[in-house]
Amino acid sequence: MPLLHSFLRAIDRASPAPVAHAHCDIPCGIYDPHHAQLAAHTVIRMVDLLGQLEHPGTDATLPQKKEFHSKIARYTATKEQHAEVYKSEVRILWADYFKPEHLQQFPQLHDLVWKALKSGSKARQEVNLQASEDMLTHANEIAEIFWKTKGVSTTKAKAPYPTGRETVYPKLG
Amino acid sequence: MRPALGPGDYVLVNRWAYRHRAPAVGDLVVLRNPEREGQFLCKRIAGVTDSGAYVVLGDNAAESRDSRQFGPVPRGFIVGKVWRSAGVGPRTPARPESPS
Repeated sequence: MPLLHSFLRAIDRASPAPVAHAHCDIPCGIYDPHHAQLAAHTVIRMVDLLGQLEHPGTDATLPQKKEFHSKIARYTATKEQHAEVYKSEVRILWADYFKPEHLQQFPQLHDLVWKALKSGSKARQEVNLQASEDMLTHANEIAEIFWKTKGVSTTKAKAPYPTGRETVYPKLG
Repeated sequence: MRPALGPGDYVLVNRWAYRHRAPAVGDLVVLRNPEREGQFLCKRIAGVTDSGAYVVLGDNAAESRDSRQFGPVPRGFIVGKVWRSAGVGPRTPARPESPS
């Protein structure tokens, strides 16, 4: 019924109607806590870089001042962006992947997600190494639970990034 | 909800359809998502439990998230019956033909 569709589309454009979903989401079934872990590493790295920045001093040239401020802006923007990626990824696992039976098996999950999101918000707002490390700690704990629900064992290893923090990885293959 | 509905189809919902009668098995309905507040779903009534809740299923069982995951839904969640639907191209009617 293309005619009716066109008519309704015109009405919808003038006064949008609520959407009714036939699927809750595309159930692609592809989830991985690695995104959240990776985002936490990025936030830690940005906090490190911000900490390493040295003020160019009052007698600095204009290009030196510009470089300094540009770096602060870039590191801060990246830190905030990845803190938000982290929160988004944790929410996706929580809302879309984990099921009531997982919660019965791991009753600490809600509290863990709550702490993860809080640490993400804090690390986004502040230049706070502890908060960014908390992000990774919570992401690792979520990853351990995630892989257990998949029947995949995990291992802890130092991440091969400048951050070098201990990270939970699945033992695949 | 393929084949009855496709992405982007418009559905006109009769909110008064169940004022004088109960939702019947086979009805295509719009309901509030019991798992996500503020979101509407489009499913088909597949059965009624002893306690009067409705089992809703998607036609496209392989890809649908429905009562198999979130359980039967109370009648209060059902917004109304799909009265007409309109897609961009020709489509099979909202109610599937009875199995032959």
